[in-house]
Amino acid sequence: MTDTTSLQLKANGPQPRTNEKESRGLWADALKRIIRSRISLAGLIIVAVFLLVALFAPLIAPYDPIKDSDLVKRLEAPSDEHIMGRDSQGRDVFSRLVYGARISVKIGVISVGFALVLGVTLGAVAGYYGKWLDGLIMRLMDILLAFPSVLLAIAITAVLGPELRNAMIAIGIVYTPHFARIVRSTVLSVKATEYIEAARAVGCSDLRIIMRHVLPNCIAPIIVQSTLSVGTAILDAAALSFLGLGAQPPEPEWGAMLSDGKSYLQKAPHVMIFPGLAIMFVVLGFNLLGDGLRDALDPRLKQ
Amino acid sequence: MKVKRLVAAIFLVLAMMVTITGCGGGDDAAKDTGADKEKIFVFARSGDASGLDPINVTDGESLYVTQQIFDTLLEYKEDSTEVQAGLATDWESTKDGREWTLKLREGVKFHDGTPFNAEAVKFNFDRWRDENNPYHHGDFSYYTYMFGGFPGIIEDVVVVDEYTVKFVLTQPQAPFLANLAMATFGISSPEAIKKHGEDYFKNPVGTGPFKFVKWEKDQQVVVEKNPEYWGEKAKVDKVVFRTIPDNSARLMELQAGTIDGMIGLNPDDVETVKNDPNLQLLLRPSMNVGYLAMNTEKEYLKEQKIRQAINYAVNKQALIDAFYAGLAKPAKNPLPPSLWGYNDEVKGYEYDPAKAKALLAEAGYPDGFETTLWAMPVARPYMPQPKEIAQAIQQDLAKVGITTKIVTYDWQTYIEKGENGEHDLYLFGWTGDNGDPDNFLYVLLDKSNTVKGSAGNVAFYMNDRVSSLLVEAQKESDQSKRDKLYKDAQVLINEDAPWVPLVHSTPPIAARKSISGWVPHATGTECS
Repeated sequence: MTDTTSLQLKANGPQPRTNEKESRGLWADALKRIIRSRISLAGLIIVAVFLLVALFAPLIAPYDPIKDSDLVKRLEAPSDEHIMGRDSQGRDVFSRLVYGARISVKIGVISVGFALVLGVTLGAVAGYYGKWLDGLIMRLMDILLAFPSVLLAIAITAVLGPELRNAMIAIGIVYTPHFARIVRSTVLSVKATEYIEAARAVGCSDLRIIMRHVLPNCIAPIIVQSTLSVGTAILDAAALSFLGLGAQPPEPEWGAMLSDGKSYLQKAPHVMIFPGLAIMFVVLGFNLLGDGLRDALDPRLKQ
Repeated sequence: MKVKRLVAAIFLVLAMMVTITGCGGGDDAAKDTGADKEKIFVFARSGDASGLDPINVTDGESLYVTQQIFDTLLEYKEDSTEVQAGLATDWESTKDGREWTLKLREGVKFHDGTPFNAEAVKFNFDRWRDENNPYHHGDFSYYTYMFGGFPGIIEDVVVVDEYTVKFVLTQPQAPFLANLAMATFGISSPEAIKKHGEDYFKNPVGTGPFKFVKWEKDQQVVVEKNPEYWGEKAKVDKVVFRTIPDNSARLMELQAGTIDGMIGLNPDDVETVKNDPNLQLLLRPSMNVGYLAMNTEKEYLKEQKIRQAINYAVNKQALIDAFYAGLAKPAKNPLPPSLWGYNDEVKGYEYDPAKAKALLAEAGYPDGFETTLWAMPVARPYMPQPKEIAQAIQQDLAKVGITTKIVTYDWQTYIEKGENGEHDLYLFGWTGDNGDPDNFLYVLLDKSNTVKGSAGNVAFYMNDRVSSLLVEAQKESDQSKRDKLYKDAQVLINEDAPWVPLVHSTPPIAARKSISGWVPHATGTECS
């Protein structure tokens, strides 16, 4: 734990604890603070509902999202049997949204996970070893950051081919520099501390120092960044699918559903409105939760 | 025309035939009242032209434009595909049908001032048919489609005198005159071709009612009135061909009055247009076919039983009800029923998934297989919503165990890859150019049109018996005999099932009420 974290914990609870207990305290404490703030609580609830829907999709969805199509009843307005109506292929919009949540979870986890692993590794290496390696890696990250993110994702997907998997890779690449920067700056500030010097003096390997003593300091900012990124990753993936570069028909991806519905905006607006709202709420949820986490995990804001 | 061309015709029509009440822009009342105001007709479609040299394009989006700039030796009548005088005023053939002598119109000039005469005609034909001609830049697909290769059946073009030209053919060709009237055989200025070389497709010069002004790729093509036109002069000063890829966005612009006419109306929007007091709905007579070509050189699809199974698996009527607003008939032959030679006795394949499954099992694939389904990226007259139609077909095929991945590319790439035979299942279509069955069957299904890179036969269907029937029909001049030959060919084609013939559509067109005189032509390239 860093000094700041220990400070924070001391202010919070009176007794000194072991490392392990301290960190449990940190999270319990953060959770308490999130629940206390109504806005971040709303974010937490939205995200929880979203994850539950994704998890239990087959139980929630009344119809099959792909197979239950009926061209005769296409574009039917919302009714009792189809609370969100039917889309242009006569499929149940609600069921597709529910299954689409699974795809969105997958997108969020995989693309952000990709960015996380790559970004943390690069950032830690750059920050820890410094010198020319630092320059090389971080200039590369700067180049990536200089591109408008969606444009870069479009370019990468265009090269790899239009497929959901490739869209996730593209988004992962686009988000990598954010993680790399956060990790590098933390590593730089920690590297000079005495306990790292002590660890080195004891003969710890670089890998061990990085994994056990340096990276734990980055956990809080990385969690905040990950949460915020999941929201924007879902949004970016929807944008790519809307452009036809992400999920391919008949997958019920939300962006692809929006794209399918756009021809019927005047005639059957429900086809577009519901996926649009779903994207909006989920992204909002992750943003609120991310902001809440940032506040909850930031010791300075506490006082 | 290939797929695309259908449409092309439009404007001119507008432009020329019209009695205009106000062919000008949207709210043209204002524009019309001032005699000095420019009258501009803005037309929108879903894709841009691929080139403006008519001989080197096959798509309606391009031919729509070139039709305004170029004239052909003969033209179609406004309401049919019978030919009438164009740049040629009289024509006669020898008894054996191997020599055609055409009298040319005198005093006509190309837009760049070059006089139109027999030399110019010969220059054009020599450029098209001779691969070694220094100006033979491009693939000249249509020339090979219609005349069977380079130089094909046109053995020689002879300048008899300044205004008389003689065509010598290696064999009689029944649809020869009808072919000459196709928009793709527009006559270009020899001087302009010499001047621009490979860039001629960006700098077209013809004798037509409009002169080329500018082309902004994917935005617009602008043509202006040719005041020295030999025929009835254009009623508007300028025509702007805008590209608006999205069908709904295009309709919204029409409703807003920023465009005056459009093709590629979503059938779902037909009602909207009918109910809008400012808009009118026009229907183009049906002379097209939308189809699913099965690449017979690919795994699975090379087996006849599988192709038949796919035919049984597709529910055409459901497609029509859902995506054509009823403005289409299910197809069973490649030929549209409005054409002579159509064989109504061919049974086709009714929708029968059980039979499809049985055939798949017989072919050794009881659990189906995986393949790709290609869908064009733009709305076509015979396929207003290709992506959705592809999804519906994907569902139909899934029901019999065939898993498909939908593949799409931008329009130009889509056509190129199709002509190269890179696809498995390929959605495509055709609008007739000249009202002759040859223009469908020979172009789309003859083995000579399977050359990679310029294939019109995108099923790569090669059947020697069909081919010999089609070639024989070309040579025969007795229409009742030709009729029989084409009917026989359709029976064989139906059995081999290289396509799933999907629909013959009646493409809806929408225009502002203030526009009059727009007569949609069946060939889609109306002009006139």
